[in-house]
Amino acid sequence: MSKKIGVYICECGPNIRDRINIDEILENLSSIEDIKVVKKYPLLCSNEGKKFLADEIKNEELTHLVIAACSPKEHEITFMNVCEKAGLNPYLFQLVNIREQCAWIISNKEEATRMATKYIRAGINRVLLHKPLQKKELECNPNVLIIGGGIAGIEASLSLASPERKVYLVEKTSVLGGKVRKLSGLLPHQGMDLTFLQKKIKEVENNENIVVLTSSEVENVRGFFGNFEIVIKSNRNDLEQKEIKVGAIIVATGFSLFDPKETPQYGYGTIENVVNALEFEEMIASDKILLKNGKPPKTVALIHCVGRKEKGYCSKVCCLYSLKFAQFLKDKLSDVNVFEFYSDLCLPHKSDQDYFEEVKKKGVNFIKANEIQIKKSNSNINIEYKTITEKKGSLSVDMVVLSPAIIPAENTEKLAKILNIPLDETGFFKEIHEKLDPVSTPIEGIYIAGCASGPKNILESVIQSQAACGKILSCLIPGKKLEPEVRVSEIVEEFCTGCQTCLSVCFYSAISFDEFKGVSVVNEAICRGCGNCVGSCPSGAIRLKHFTYPQLYREVLEALR
Amino acid sequence: MKNPNVLIIGAGIAGMEASLLLAEAGRKVYLVEKESLIGGQVIKYEEVFPNMECSTCMVAPKQQEVLQNENIELFLLSEVEKIAGSAGQFSVRIRKRARYVSLTNCIGCGACYDPCPVSLYNEFEQCLSKKKAISIPCPGALPNVPAIDPENCLYLSGKQECQACKEACMFDAIDFSDKDEILELEVGAIIVATGFDLLDVKILPQYGYGDSSNIYTAMEFERLNAANGPTEGKIILREGSIPKSIAIIHCVGRAEKGYCSGVCCMYSAKFSHYLRHKLPDAKICEFYSDLCIPGKSYQKFYKEIQNKGVELIYSDDIRVEKKDGKIQVVYKNGDGERSVFNADMVILSPAMIAKNGTKELAKILGISVDEKGFFSTQNQSLSPITTSVQGIFVIGCAEGPKDISESIAQAEAAVGKVLSLLS
Amino acid sequence: MSEKFKPRLVGFLCNWCSYAAADLAGSSKLEIKPYLSVVRVMCSSRVNSNLALTAFLWGADGVLIAGCHPGDCHYETGNYYARRRFALLKKIMETLDLEPERLQLSWISASEGKRYAEVVNKFAENISEMGPNPFHNNPNI
Repeated sequence: MSKKIGVYICECGPNIRDRINIDEILENLSSIEDIKVVKKYPLLCSNEGKKFLADEIKNEELTHLVIAACSPKEHEITFMNVCEKAGLNPYLFQLVNIREQCAWIISNKEEATRMATKYIRAGINRVLLHKPLQKKELECNPNVLIIGGGIAGIEASLSLASPERKVYLVEKTSVLGGKVRKLSGLLPHQGMDLTFLQKKIKEVENNENIVVLTSSEVENVRGFFGNFEIVIKSNRNDLEQKEIKVGAIIVATGFSLFDPKETPQYGYGTIENVVNALEFEEMIASDKILLKNGKPPKTVALIHCVGRKEKGYCSKVCCLYSLKFAQFLKDKLSDVNVFEFYSDLCLPHKSDQDYFEEVKKKGVNFIKANEIQIKKSNSNINIEYKTITEKKGSLSVDMVVLSPAIIPAENTEKLAKILNIPLDETGFFKEIHEKLDPVSTPIEGIYIAGCASGPKNILESVIQSQAACGKILSCLIPGKKLEPEVRVSEIVEEFCTGCQTCLSVCFYSAISFDEFKGVSVVNEAICRGCGNCVGSCPSGAIRLKHFTYPQLYREVLEALR
Repeated sequence: MKNPNVLIIGAGIAGMEASLLLAEAGRKVYLVEKESLIGGQVIKYEEVFPNMECSTCMVAPKQQEVLQNENIELFLLSEVEKIAGSAGQFSVRIRKRARYVSLTNCIGCGACYDPCPVSLYNEFEQCLSKKKAISIPCPGALPNVPAIDPENCLYLSGKQECQACKEACMFDAIDFSDKDEILELEVGAIIVATGFDLLDVKILPQYGYGDSSNIYTAMEFERLNAANGPTEGKIILREGSIPKSIAIIHCVGRAEKGYCSGVCCMYSAKFSHYLRHKLPDAKICEFYSDLCIPGKSYQKFYKEIQNKGVELIYSDDIRVEKKDGKIQVVYKNGDGERSVFNADMVILSPAMIAKNGTKELAKILGISVDEKGFFSTQNQSLSPITTSVQGIFVIGCAEGPKDISESIAQAEAAVGKVLSLLS
Repeated sequence: MSEKFKPRLVGFLCNWCSYAAADLAGSSKLEIKPYLSVVRVMCSSRVNSNLALTAFLWGADGVLIAGCHPGDCHYETGNYYARRRFALLKKIMETLDLEPERLQLSWISASEGKRYAEVVNKFAENISEMGPNPFHNNPNI
């Protein structure tokens, strides 16, 4: 088919017109083969300009379009839309930057004209090698798998479930509720008592669009965003397996507590009446705040930051729940003395400091200390410590409550392997971008929420689960098709040696290995088009659509003419 | 009949995130922004913690997308004046202030800046530099189209028949006859993402701020350090010399406001990073009372600055005094013992407060403001983004101080709620 | 300073950071010597020895690869690979009797318009002083 290239140079007012000899370029280009028309125009991005282009495409029956104007970052999309509306494949178009990277940086008109000519010729030679790439459409399954039946998982399932969208809620233990179930209550400024949890669990159980699978774990995951195939295994009976198909997965597996036995200076497990936070929650919940000898304590020490140094991070919630413990102690036990040993008060939300002041007013003592040693002394417990000013101190108490660090839940590593999502150096699931995308992973369609990705409080865990829902509700719409990136990599089987180098460099796990054929295969539905695989391939078997070697070489060749 | 469109008030990082996610879902978004550019506070920082990632690079793709997305209609220099109706059917009245420069005709060449005879303090640059009456707030501002300040423009304020900018423009982009516009929009839900301000440290005399000394607020320091800022990123004192000792003081205004702002310890450490990188031999001290560095990656960041020789000094009683033209940080340790640190430069980390105009906007929306001045939301039902009015959500720092990661999560959560509400 | 000759340089700029910086240099009207031709790629990791070596074989006096600062890559880890490939390529150039300084890798963020101009001008100056590529005036073009 004969090629008819239309080349249009935008004057951009005086910006290009005054700094480049456009007429000279028009003359130089007119002799090039395959060029049907070369024209200049005052302002191509204006409404009149766009109409002019559309008319030109139709009237001149152009097969390719080259526009020399501003940066593609400004108007590539604008002109691609013009092409599409005029019936020309938008990828048979090249926008050559002769403004920001030519006219505006070269004051000598001759030099600027020469540079612009070079760039335009490069664009013309390149566009001849463009392929008419087509937008793809993929069917998607709107159902969602939620791994973890704690508060984050429960909230997500209630937000997502609908007649058009089934939710599978998989929980490792035999009951829903996670760690919140074990708490004695929430913080006062978070309002509710724990009956809200039972209500939510009932809602989930009664919702006909939520399939609850307790005592179950995810065994295997295959597929990609919109089309995952999952195998779920029952813990009760190894042979009992369920296969489901979903479009997205939310990982809400929660956390574990650091074992204070690893820090023997706190006496956990060796000294009586030294308990950890969850054990103390149980005491409060069952209204039995008692020492081993059955009597209520007279002096209680609450020790923050247990394991903070060892793990290397602050677990965010302990200062606040320790305040809750202090409040309970003061409210429930008359004339109990309460001491809180902390290294830094972590009170980051707007109502937290008020709560601290409230608890302090009840007569709770706060000691900023480190280097804490807990020893048994007769029938009491002796705490030795150093203050911030290096002064030594000691205190005798009957009971010690330790606030241990929040660590990744058991089986986090195993699950990460099954899902092929990364962990960071603290062992929690790693989000794709800590600031801009805290609930996504590098695998499109797999989201993480709550303490699975790091220590956080209940409100934040719920917000993150809602955020994951927001992303799913926005892109996995029942009936709507997915439109993945068009300029993706593809592997030419004949040249692939099966070395799998490309597999190892792909951040998005978009490449898999076909064992039978012995070649690598790109999943175009998840490829993001960076070209790293192309750069790594030793046999040149991979092409990045729209940025192929021949296309780039045409640009390089022109640059060196 | 539920209106599927959404109004988002504020085009900072949270507002932009919510707009883009809703646009992806096929909804029409009206994004209303008070300033002449999008990006909020985040674009004022050179880098963000804890990875010290380039802030503008991080945000630029989002800004570009917002400007080019067909589902997002952006109103700049605009504010919400009135709201009526209820969830699913809100009627919104917007006042769009005159820009005097056409967004369609202007191509951002900047030929109009030089000829303008009026020089003003640049608020974006925290008044550390000047700009003209017709200008963009900083290089790289998006959209790359200037606005004219009508109060200071000689022509628009009736002081003089000056048309210098119009004469310099080759694109017929300047229009002095531009007028404020009132627009009426119909939407189904509203998301408030108006962000924060920093406490005005002038009200705290113990820190000695004011009269152009070398005592800077956090935002002023961010601009000082920015590559596109008033000194192109050079850390220099007012008199032009390079500081040899710097004190960074945390918790400025914490006692007065009654809450910890959650992010200042981290950005103060970020400042230490900036300083250590640019001034390898300077003495840098961080004065803190509690290190609020929660989460899996923040404490590591602190270890890093300590390894780079930054000193952390605990104090719950700090004053900044000037003696013989020099600055002294006078502080007491936990036992009340007094010490003095001589600093060439002091950086104050002030409390984050509700954005100016929060009370007024709350009234228009029919929602309340809490005792700290931020919009009230329903923490009590585990929903810190829902307000007492169904269909109106508050996200980001408009709800209370938080970091970018939490603001983004709240933005995405609000989108989820809106899509469920307006399904 | 009188230049011995006008070098022909090719620059591979990544779409998200360095290309944006080049645009910013343009909108800031900074003067950049007209010796570098820009080829846009989506990520600096797209660039490997083929592209760079072919450019040298075709007579390029210098090749510049510019990407996002480490940690800022739009595709998360792309620029780390670019850095490794670049280091390897430098070694290969030594075996070809091609001065490794003719290849430069620079990290330029989207807001560093001024720095982009400085990097390119300095690069042009350095190459100018080095003289033409031994494969210059290759009869194969």
